[in-house]
Amino acid sequence: MDSLQLQALLPFIVLASASVVIILLIAARQSHTVIQITGFLMMCLVVLAMWYVRDVLPRAIMPLLVVDGMAAVFTGLIVFCVLIIGLFSFIYFEEREENPKEYYILIFLGTLGAAVLTISRHFISVFIGLELLSISLYALIAYLRNRNNAVEAGMKYLVLAAMSSAFLLFGMALIYMDTGSMDFDGIAKQLQTQGHSPALFVTGIGLMMVAVCFKLALVPFHLWAADVYQGAPVPVTNFIATVSKIGVFAVLVRFAQAVQLQSYHFAVIIISFVAIVSMVGGNLLAIKQQNIKRLLAYSSIAHLGYLLVAFLPGNAAGIEAGMFYLFAYSITLLAAFGIVTMLSGRQADADQLEAYRGLYWRNPLMGAILTVALLSLAGIPLTAGFIGKFAVLNAGVQQQLWLPVIVLVITSVIGLYYYLRIISTLFAETQVIFPKEKSLHPLFVAGTYGALLVLLILLLGAGIFPSAVIDGIKNFLCQGFRIINF
Amino acid sequence: MGTTQILFWFLTALALLGAIMVLVSKNPVHSVLWLIVVFFAISGHYILLNAQFLAIVNLIVYAGAIMVLFLFVIMLMNLNAETEPQKSIWMKFFGVATGGLLLSFFISFIVSSIDLKNKTAQLKEGDVGLIKNLGKVLFSDYVIPFEIASILFLSAMVGAVVIGKKD
Amino acid sequence: MTNLIAYIPALPLAGFLLLFFTGRRMSKSMIAFVGAGSVCIAALLTIVIGITFLQSGSSANTQTLWQWMRVGNFSCDISLRLDALSLVFVFIISFVGALIHIYSIAFMRQDEDYARFFASMNLFVFSMLVLVLADNLVLLYLGWEGVGLCSYLLIGFWYKVPANCAAANKAFFITRIGDTAMAIGLFMLFKTLGTLNIADIQQQAATIPNVTTIALLLLMGGMGKSAQVPLQTWLPDAMAGPSPVSALIHAATMVTAGVYLVARMNVLFLLSPAAMNVVAVVGAITLFVAGCSALVQTDIKRILAYSTISQVGYMFLALGCGAWSAAIFHFFTHAFFKALLFLAAGVVIESLHHEHNIFKMGGLKNKMPLLYYTFLAGASALAALPFISAGFYSKDAILWYSWSAGNGNVMLWAVALTGAFITALYSARLVIVVFWGDMKTPIAQQPGKLMTMPLVTLAILSIIAGFVQWPHNLLHVTLFADLVEKVLPATVLKQGIPPELLLQLIAAVVTLGGAYTGYLLYYKSPHIIEQWKTAEPNLNLREFFVKGWRFDELYQTLFVKPFLFITRSNKADVFDKIHQWLVTACSRLNGWLSLSQNGSLRWYIGSMLVGIIFILALQFFL
Repeated sequence: MDSLQLQALLPFIVLASASVVIILLIAARQSHTVIQITGFLMMCLVVLAMWYVRDVLPRAIMPLLVVDGMAAVFTGLIVFCVLIIGLFSFIYFEEREENPKEYYILIFLGTLGAAVLTISRHFISVFIGLELLSISLYALIAYLRNRNNAVEAGMKYLVLAAMSSAFLLFGMALIYMDTGSMDFDGIAKQLQTQGHSPALFVTGIGLMMVAVCFKLALVPFHLWAADVYQGAPVPVTNFIATVSKIGVFAVLVRFAQAVQLQSYHFAVIIISFVAIVSMVGGNLLAIKQQNIKRLLAYSSIAHLGYLLVAFLPGNAAGIEAGMFYLFAYSITLLAAFGIVTMLSGRQADADQLEAYRGLYWRNPLMGAILTVALLSLAGIPLTAGFIGKFAVLNAGVQQQLWLPVIVLVITSVIGLYYYLRIISTLFAETQVIFPKEKSLHPLFVAGTYGALLVLLILLLGAGIFPSAVIDGIKNFLCQGFRIINF
Repeated sequence: MGTTQILFWFLTALALLGAIMVLVSKNPVHSVLWLIVVFFAISGHYILLNAQFLAIVNLIVYAGAIMVLFLFVIMLMNLNAETEPQKSIWMKFFGVATGGLLLSFFISFIVSSIDLKNKTAQLKEGDVGLIKNLGKVLFSDYVIPFEIASILFLSAMVGAVVIGKKD
Repeated sequence: MTNLIAYIPALPLAGFLLLFFTGRRMSKSMIAFVGAGSVCIAALLTIVIGITFLQSGSSANTQTLWQWMRVGNFSCDISLRLDALSLVFVFIISFVGALIHIYSIAFMRQDEDYARFFASMNLFVFSMLVLVLADNLVLLYLGWEGVGLCSYLLIGFWYKVPANCAAANKAFFITRIGDTAMAIGLFMLFKTLGTLNIADIQQQAATIPNVTTIALLLLMGGMGKSAQVPLQTWLPDAMAGPSPVSALIHAATMVTAGVYLVARMNVLFLLSPAAMNVVAVVGAITLFVAGCSALVQTDIKRILAYSTISQVGYMFLALGCGAWSAAIFHFFTHAFFKALLFLAAGVVIESLHHEHNIFKMGGLKNKMPLLYYTFLAGASALAALPFISAGFYSKDAILWYSWSAGNGNVMLWAVALTGAFITALYSARLVIVVFWGDMKTPIAQQPGKLMTMPLVTLAILSIIAGFVQWPHNLLHVTLFADLVEKVLPATVLKQGIPPELLLQLIAAVVTLGGAYTGYLLYYKSPHIIEQWKTAEPNLNLREFFVKGWRFDELYQTLFVKPFLFITRSNKADVFDKIHQWLVTACSRLNGWLSLSQNGSLRWYIGSMLVGIIFILALQFFL
């Protein structure tokens, strides 16, 4: 490994050291505020490191990792999400009696796992990244262990994730058995020389898809989503909904690119199937849901289904559309869960729809942000969600994937129903007197509001001037597609 | 049939028997003991593959540490046959049906794979499992995942401490 | 100096935004200051810019602010263009607008929605300025729709009375017919030329194959906005709005937007003689139809409304004949005297306890002399009394060109002449019935200075504004035509027509005759009318005119009733059944799927296994 490769890994090293710094701070008995601020600064440091190393990209660290433009986009998105989630975490945990300090270690470790996924080009690194992410999540989900369903949710996630990991490993083993390589490029090369799709490879892909679909919460591996989203603390839910999905999707894209996954008929059929049932299932499950965390879980099932439609074509347009969609989806969910975090009280999360009745009249800013976020989820024009959905549709139509595209359109209409249902609740008249806002450090309240405003601006900005974001993604992707010889 | 092959088949049969017994034992302590048998059989396989280091590690970590932990947990929780919750007959049927189907799929895939018939395990020949080679690979090519794995353990440790903490 | 153009519309916009967001917290004088002040400054600015523009002698100044949008090869700039034509319009809009705003300060004083009124008025002035200053048709259309919106808001200003809302709706719907046609016209124009920039259109117009269709579609838009037959029915009802609104929107500015559009697109119309003829005929029919209705109305504002329709008809007639500058000139003078008449009518109505019926007025001549003389100035301009009124100079030109211009003929002239007679007749009737004779309703209050000042200004302008353009054979003063003909084509005269002096004499005689007839019928010997009213067919005819030639009833039978019939027969809503079914299906599926979320881990693992088996089976059998 030479110095340039080390440089390319710098953001990840900083990310890993962030957790160590937090551990040391805890050992030095520092307060929550100090830890929070340090965490925030460390994340900023990661961003700076990414900026610093931009010139040495793309760079492969053989045989396991490759830091390229695509990885930069995904990692950047992940770090951005964690930055925002970190801000939301403060006001959430400051209220709780539990000790919130270790939470930050776990969050950063989980982030590292997701970030490693984005730069993986080898089964070993994929597996380690995935496990790092999952193990952090087990503890994070059950973090508020005094609440019954938190431990229950953590337990469910543990068992199911372990099972999906087993299938992942089995699938990897089968592919290794067939091709003698665990390196994406090596597998691709081996497949080219073999010239046909061997049964072991096909089975391996199928089993690996199980794990991927599980992590992305796609039907029929979605059942954990609602329970876990509901049981986990709100910032953790936010983390699961954004960071873990970005990481897994990144590795899926990279693997598919390397082995030309979409050129296999069976793979296209499986993915289309999963996409279609996810879109239908997610939206139908959400229709009557009264618990907003569960509703967002179902909604994210449907959204990941939409995302797979962009993944189906397997060309540059599809990947761009997918990335934009993921971007739009992430900032939207960050904003939505941000509001849930803000409203959550000491005893329980604000997950009942009743808590949102007349929110707009009580707190116009939060009401407006949640409204815009929901409109973006529903894909209403002038929001990022609309552009994302439009890009996905465009990619699908170009490849003439009529069935998924039609299902996408129809289910979007169904989805509109439950988003508008919440919005109408936000604007409803209310007589209930709600407790006063929490008395927190004004700096953090201001920071949280600032973060929410940034998200709002991003949501609308990406909806009105999408070309800036799309061009940015294209720029980075060009770097990623450059052939790397070492 | 040489000694190696006789040993191979014996260990294979032992592993399968052990695994089945883990499942069918009513008493969890018996299950754990059978699991140790399985690990021993698998370690035997490692030795046949000329991977002595892996064999020893497998024994120390799994059969040694983890199984003792299992036994402790079972004994502390006082699990025995009587407290096991009754599963409905449908659940059993469902489990058997799905498991059976899965198994038959795997078998059929493996059987239908043409390439597989030309591939055989390299008994007594491979040298990746030797401590020297493993160490070399681990600290040159795979040093980053090795480091990340250490972070993974850190994560697991912190998680366990947080969940298990007393206050 | 020309880069100040953008400030003219920006000022009312700023006024609107300020009033819209903070109007509720402002005091009334503050609101008046912002509302009227912004327009007054815009008017002053217009005058300054206008003078510089005239001195510079350039034909057009364009100021591009920023690019509004770019889609494919279509781009649209926010770009303003000041030339002679738009200068005239901008001047009228800002100047008359400023006077009306000043008038409104006092007129609307008692209203609780003071801020809303001024906000809407400022928004209107802004939209109207955008309309006339636009350098491309997209921006023009933006202003076009903006004035439509403001018209809607202001007609229904007193929204608590259902009739006012109905009037607002009617105005909105009927102009929408025209707007739709205009939008289609714009689409077609863009499809053929690939641009909507006015200068580009003027250059490339000759290459358009279907120019008649486009011209007629644009004309439809103009007819809707300018209340020309058959889309005129909304304007009389629009009088439900406050009088300053009627003066500004429904007399001086917005209703002439159609005139502006046709004049602006003169290249298209010149290429299509058929379209020109349609414009002329529409104008002629309108001026006659509306004039007849104006004769018999009893509501003072409705009389003025019909007279507005009729006068705008004159402008269309002039446009259709090819007398471009005459049309714009008539717009110029009409804006002054019609705004004056509406404002004066507002004072009358206000003073007489909101009495609209002219036959319950009367005798105001001695009680309110100032009002009387200003009204008289306006009415004489409307009647086009020779030499002493501005209306004479513009209307005389139209009458002359309706025969002599390239597209004119004797029929059009005859209709216009009849119209002139009718106009003079109802003007005289209005003055005599309202101001002469006995007093029937006591006066509540005298108008204050803020109200009389604009009246006097407008009255003076109604007299002197015509002096900038004299008939050719009398005095060679053609300031207005010289200015406008920088932009608009010059009027071409035909050969072999009677001498101009003869026609002028006829017109003067007819006008004076009309005024005299009014004097005779309504003052000297009113029994003639009483006698006339005894006959059954005459009463029917009167009723027919009062109802505005029964256009409303015609539309009711032709469009509203069949539509209502269709909706009634589809009361069960066949299409809704499909949606109902979809809703039921979704909710049932939701129920079934929710069963799968039972929280049991064992079940979750089972479902995962089923999923895996399904995927493997898919692979196995493919």
